[in-house]
Amino acid sequence: MFQLADFSVSFGTATALRRATLDIRQGDRLGIVGESGSGKTMLALALMGMAPDAATISGRLTIDGHDMTHATEATWQQMRARRVAMIFQEPMSALNPLRRIGDTVMEPLIVHEGLSRAQAQARVLALLEEVGIPDPAARLRMFPHELSGGQRQRVLIALALACNPALLIADEPTTALDANVALRITDLLVRLAQERGMALVFITHDLAAVARTTKDIVVMYGGDMIERGPTAQVLSAPAHPYTQGLLAARPDPTVPPRDATGKRRRLPTLPGTVPPLAALPQGCRFSGRCSVELPQCAGTRPTDHALDADRSAACHLLGATP
Amino acid sequence: MTAPLLDARNLTRRYRLPRTSLLHPAPVLTAVDNTSFTIRAGETLGVVGESGSGKSTIARMVMAFETPDAGEVLFQGQNLHALSPYELRLQRQKFQMVFQDPFGSLDPRRTVGWSIAEPMRAIGADTDTARRTAEALEQVGLPARDADKYPHEFSGGQRQRIAIARAIVTRPALLVADEAVSALDVSVQAQILNLLMDLQDDLGLGILFISHDLAVVASICDHILVMQHGKPLESGPAAQVLRSPAHAYTQTLLKAAGVST
Amino acid sequence: MTRRLPVNFILGAVLVALVVGTAALSLVWTPHDATLMTISNKFAPPSATHWLGTDQLGRDVVSQLMAGARNSMAVALVAVLLGGSVGVALGLLASAIGGWVEDGVMRLADLGFAFPALLFAIMLAAVFGPSLTNAVLAIAFINIPVFARVTRGAANQVWTLDYVLAARAAGMNRFAISRDHILPNIAAAIIVQATIEFAVAILAEAALSYLGLGAQPPASSWGRLLSEAQTLMYLAPQLAIYPGLCIVVAVVGFGLLGDGLRDMSDPRLSRER
Repeated sequence: MFQLADFSVSFGTATALRRATLDIRQGDRLGIVGESGSGKTMLALALMGMAPDAATISGRLTIDGHDMTHATEATWQQMRARRVAMIFQEPMSALNPLRRIGDTVMEPLIVHEGLSRAQAQARVLALLEEVGIPDPAARLRMFPHELSGGQRQRVLIALALACNPALLIADEPTTALDANVALRITDLLVRLAQERGMALVFITHDLAAVARTTKDIVVMYGGDMIERGPTAQVLSAPAHPYTQGLLAARPDPTVPPRDATGKRRRLPTLPGTVPPLAALPQGCRFSGRCSVELPQCAGTRPTDHALDADRSAACHLLGATP
Repeated sequence: MTAPLLDARNLTRRYRLPRTSLLHPAPVLTAVDNTSFTIRAGETLGVVGESGSGKSTIARMVMAFETPDAGEVLFQGQNLHALSPYELRLQRQKFQMVFQDPFGSLDPRRTVGWSIAEPMRAIGADTDTARRTAEALEQVGLPARDADKYPHEFSGGQRQRIAIARAIVTRPALLVADEAVSALDVSVQAQILNLLMDLQDDLGLGILFISHDLAVVASICDHILVMQHGKPLESGPAAQVLRSPAHAYTQTLLKAAGVST
Repeated sequence: MTRRLPVNFILGAVLVALVVGTAALSLVWTPHDATLMTISNKFAPPSATHWLGTDQLGRDVVSQLMAGARNSMAVALVAVLLGGSVGVALGLLASAIGGWVEDGVMRLADLGFAFPALLFAIMLAAVFGPSLTNAVLAIAFINIPVFARVTRGAANQVWTLDYVLAARAAGMNRFAISRDHILPNIAAAIIVQATIEFAVAILAEAALSYLGLGAQPPASSWGRLLSEAQTLMYLAPQLAIYPGLCIVVAVVGFGLLGDGLRDMSDPRLSRER
């Protein structure tokens, strides 16, 4: 359905996304995991045709077989909402504070689908019900500030679903929410994707949330897709040194904070920080911070090595041991 | 048993909300309800809860930014809220705070060295400022020459290190960390948590560590206090709370924090 | 990436430079002595020696306008500095202490807003006699509530920021925090306000002088020139038009400059550029 091939986004000499390759099929639930500066948000924007104007784009993006790489804004407007829709991290700022919930959600139905107000209102009621908002008829007349954070996020999901998109992109949808609200939102996203046969791209830095929500994941670092495969397999047996380091750095609540002698355990860390885009190494983006570096890492970009039928990682180490 | 470093007894804090009607009295929100805890030197207490659980209000009361409506905060045996404003300002060097947002906690118009030295200037310790600023920077893993730079020249993790340097420059006995790693990337989070542990070992700090993330709390805290809607739900040694959570809400937090399952 | 300056800023800066430059020049040089009367040469048309002609007493119009610019600028400057300092101090104090002090200062500011400046100047003139000093005091007085309100609003925002909380945690007192953190971080807003108030002050000075409550003869100011020319409107309308144009140029110039500065200091607008 959605296909990226060798897709790159760069600003001058800084590459935000490097030769990304991705296939999204109906019913997929794909997690994009990475830290800040990994290129995960740029990937989402590219899939929405919203890459910044200043960016240089190369490679190929096709949606339903149509080449959308350099599509015009008008073409993208046809595509957005109906084929691909997006929800954002901050549920408050994504809603116009001066408009009632009902009017906001009705707008795309009236504009894109040409429904009458009465028809649109009936659809909105059904949508709000579907995303689990209690007493939707009363909520229609409310303003965003009268809803809790979790309910606002549900409204945004309803808004995104209004025109039955084939793909829903969720960019850090749970980061601003409390833990048990976040749990319910991820459950909702999974349920909606299953019931509607809709593809879901879930972008996050939260490994716990991605584990609950997705079937497959892509791990990104410095604009590169460095590892991919079924979520459970990647998280339980990561192949790329970066994925390994990231998982190890995540505190495990089942390990007591002090060892037998009463000394506090230190967490394993990745040294350093993600370098700025323009200063990333030319070869493997992770070189310089990697614990098992080979001589060729800094200069040569590693290719994807298949580990399994549906798993691969881009690391020179894996090529060295066939 | 030595006396605890910090002894918070029956803290209660209520806020008056805006009136919704002329005819009814303004509604009152109880942000923190009858909550007690202690922290000993060299130990970390984790307060876990979500927004609205009252955990940040606890931090503000311990820091004496707010006065509790009932209960008291005894720091080294002294009731902080009974001190005169002048005495309180002098005491402040002994309990310091690290904030959540590494981009908001440093004045953008001041050099890093100026900000770090602020707690020393506040108590009139003008001598040795440069040396102790440099020392504090090195303690948090930054080069001493960074003192002349401005906050915008640093990444989020580095800024949090600077904020920690400011908090330890007066060699306090207690550090309050309010969501101090929540805004950071996972790999940087671990570095800052380790730094806090190192400093605790070196300086014998007591730490009040506030977070919504049970996994982070579990990695650093000796004791855990779980809060919901301003009420203490359960508390105890970290291992016990994590292994056999008594409350369903704690289990939810544990589920949200876990990578497995 | 170069940031383009807003158009109103450039235009305002040019006009302000023109007016201020002229006023500064008059300190050292005017074509003629502005107060020198040559009755035989009254109402002279523009010529090589008198670029805009002479007035009813044969004084050189250009020289008078230049001297007037100097006086108008000086009055506006002193008044804004004086009123601004008091207003900013009150605003900072209100914001730092809060509670009933803040309420009290703000109600006083409301009172000041409700009180017309001209009325106050007339009152001052009635008690102490009309003079330029009293005009300055009256204009300064009306500036106090404006600055107090702007300062307190901006300061209250900064007080909620974490670095201010950190300074409190460090044990700094409220006055030191106001000096070290609050003032530097609201300076931009105050400068913008001062520029706009400068335009208002020029207008107020002209109005007071026009009513005879400001600059006294032989001192010149645009308002006085306007008032003197009033009786000669049919005979020599140009004598009223020239100072009027000067006031317009100065007020529009400072107004645009203030708007431009505000546009530049507003991050929501500058990000677009």
